[in-house]
Amino acid sequence: MEDILSDILLRVEKPARYVGGEYNLPNMDKPCSHRTCLCFCDKYEVGMSNIGVRILYHMLNDMEGFVCERSFAPDLDMAKELQEHNLPLFSLETKRPLLDFDMVAFSVGFELHFTNIIYMFDLAHIPYYAADRDDSYPVIIAGGPCAVNPMPFADFFDAIMIGEGEINFKQFNELHDKCMKEGISKQEFLKRATTIEGVYIPSLNNPTKRAVVQDLDKSYFPTDILVPNCDIVHDRSTIELFRGCANGCRFCQACFYYRPIRERKVGTLVNYAKALMDNTGYDELSLSSLSTSDYSGLKDLVDQLKVEADERKIKLALPSLRLDSFEAEIYQEMGGSSLTFAPEAGTQRLRNVINKNVSEQDVYNSIKGAMEYGVKNVKLYFMIGLPTETMEDLQGIVDIVNLVKDLHRQYGKSKMLNIIVSTAVFIPKPLTPFQWERQISMQEMKEKQEFLIEKLRMKNVKYSWHGAESSVVESLLARGDRKLSSVIVDAYHNGCVFDSWSEHFNFEGWMKAVQDNNINLEEYTGEQAEDKVFAWDIVDNGVTKKYLLSERYKSRQGITTPNCMGKCNGCGASKLGRCFE
Amino acid sequence: MIIVEHKKIGDMGYVSHKDTLKVLQRALKRGKINVEYSKGFVPHMLTYTTTPLPLGVQSDAEYFGVECTGVSASEFLERFNRSVPAGLVGSWAVELLKNPNLAFIVVASEYRIKASGNLQAVTGILDKSSYVIDTVKKGEPIQKEIRDMIFDIRVEGEEIVCVLATGNINLRVDSFVDSLVTNFGIKANRNGIIRTKQLVKDGEKLVSVGEFLR
Ligand code: SF4
Ligand code: SF4
Repeated sequence: MEDILSDILLRVEKPARYVGGEYNLPNMDKPCSHRTCLCFCDKYEVGMSNIGVRILYHMLNDMEGFVCERSFAPDLDMAKELQEHNLPLFSLETKRPLLDFDMVAFSVGFELHFTNIIYMFDLAHIPYYAADRDDSYPVIIAGGPCAVNPMPFADFFDAIMIGEGEINFKQFNELHDKCMKEGISKQEFLKRATTIEGVYIPSLNNPTKRAVVQDLDKSYFPTDILVPNCDIVHDRSTIELFRGCANGCRFCQACFYYRPIRERKVGTLVNYAKALMDNTGYDELSLSSLSTSDYSGLKDLVDQLKVEADERKIKLALPSLRLDSFEAEIYQEMGGSSLTFAPEAGTQRLRNVINKNVSEQDVYNSIKGAMEYGVKNVKLYFMIGLPTETMEDLQGIVDIVNLVKDLHRQYGKSKMLNIIVSTAVFIPKPLTPFQWERQISMQEMKEKQEFLIEKLRMKNVKYSWHGAESSVVESLLARGDRKLSSVIVDAYHNGCVFDSWSEHFNFEGWMKAVQDNNINLEEYTGEQAEDKVFAWDIVDNGVTKKYLLSERYKSRQGITTPNCMGKCNGCGASKLGRCFE
Repeated sequence: MIIVEHKKIGDMGYVSHKDTLKVLQRALKRGKINVEYSKGFVPHMLTYTTTPLPLGVQSDAEYFGVECTGVSASEFLERFNRSVPAGLVGSWAVELLKNPNLAFIVVASEYRIKASGNLQAVTGILDKSSYVIDTVKKGEPIQKEIRDMIFDIRVEGEEIVCVLATGNINLRVDSFVDSLVTNFGIKANRNGIIRTKQLVKDGEKLVSVGEFLR
């Protein structure tokens, strides 16, 4: 294999993505009784940027007797070469075929990764459906953010890890190792695995509860991380401040899914940051979490980190800040000249509906502050098709753009100003107060986009919109059930792969698969009955349906719910673990 | 300044020149080498490399120059080797008062090419006054006279050892090997090539960078 492979590597683009050999590579030759291959359903440069994959990879390799390797979705040129030479998809570290592992674990990032599961199965010579694989196959499982509703892809896997892998993935690997040593069959092992919290076995359809790290401050976090030899999307070290989000924007799945809200201590984070800076050689350190500016010790943390980073000539980056925390953003941008805002909706009314607690005054102050600061580039993010949206709300987007221009004229320290407006189509997602809402039709999407294209035809303003067609597919899959597994397989056979890369997205392929399987699209993308039992209801995710429904009602009345940092709003997540220790 | 001779072998052979530079610079940070930075608007590390290798070609003789302070050559080598991925391990390092500008003074490289077939025939190129290869320039296929860029060819066992122009006047070893495969029917490919020396002019003689600097 090595010989053929080295020839292939000369012909494909960016071959460094397939060879491993990164700095800080764990010892692959240590004595081990259990080998897992961690697979990511997208390219190396995307997967290597994923903090979850990073944590689980190093966690397993740090466990005595366990080795974990990696495999990513190879680019199309590589896939073609593998197929032409009948080489199965292999791991980066030891070039082992996936089928030679004890366990193969797929991290599924979001809905548009689903066809890549099948793509990778195909390349690895894995039969698609778990029911078609006997004990001679490795245990093949999935996890990751998409496990919030695993039903569309559940039939492909022996088990689904729901929740935080530091808990369930670890226990699942340990149990499998033990069962292998005792010669226990796959079926029996899977039955025993149902006792682990956050392990869903599709063939048994067992109810389970999402696995949650109780003490995040003490939980595993790697600082001897792999440093890739080629560019990746987020090429920097990252510390994770906290999980969950207190803001409760009603469209936001991550907010509710990652609750309860748990923080790491400033001291712990500073230690991680120092170790990462020293062990990686990266010249940038980013602070990550859903809403970094809400971290209770942010100022203290940034002050301490600045000293350490300056000493090492390392840049600090603070992503995902909210509009109402401009101060922190300025902090981040010291010396920078661009500003990113995500008001999500153009009017106060609609922002109240979605519970984006950003007032007109916040918008005004933030923009004014930015202009006085000399910001040249303003990026504005909005959603279109939100529940109750009218043309007035779209006009509100245009008004905000005009406000930026006005304030630039009045207060702008920089002569130049570039505004980029981006809109994405609202996708109703499970485990949000909007999980019952309808997605607007393609026709409506087009009309709204055309309205904005027309109105935003202004000097120094660029309007970009996220594809309407892929939003429909994402929406179908997000609230999908087990009937959709055959749609995913057929879509793959119709040529759908790398759906999240707009240049590869193939809407016709998807629609043909939907039709061939007699699926009524509207059933999934339309409004859902409030008493409907959803496919994902079998998993207890903490946040209760009752709470989500009450939030939906409040949205209709334009009533906002405050950030729960000061006072608990009773969402239900705290029964899985304590918020704000 | 310190210059280190290092390898680029194994998986690192598939890492582009630009990415390799990044890997090396990160290694300096990990090794806590006190590197000097440029003074401009966006300061960058003052480091220097030599002519890029084509992707897939390996090397025993790459050079990396670093403007740094507070570290001896031997200490540098020790820290460098602790901080690079396996395929970039350093062989030696020297401290110099002045940047020798290797990218400019290196004029040739010696390569060893694993090959099979009638290898002796290849040495016949040396007897000819012209040798033209097909290559690509700005995406267009062109023909290029390269005889002047070939300084030596000999056969040692199952390897062709050749010395080709490097630097300002540069002959890409992969294009040269492709031409040997086409013109002489030998079997060889890019990942069977290793750069074994980079050469500079010392009077009329070509000497290796190692001999020249040390
Ligand atoms: S601030 Fe809103 S959008 Fe951002 S993570 Fe929190 S809930 Fe989600
Ligand atoms: S349980 Fe209370 S504090 Fe915790 S996330 Fe829910 S609302 Fe917020």
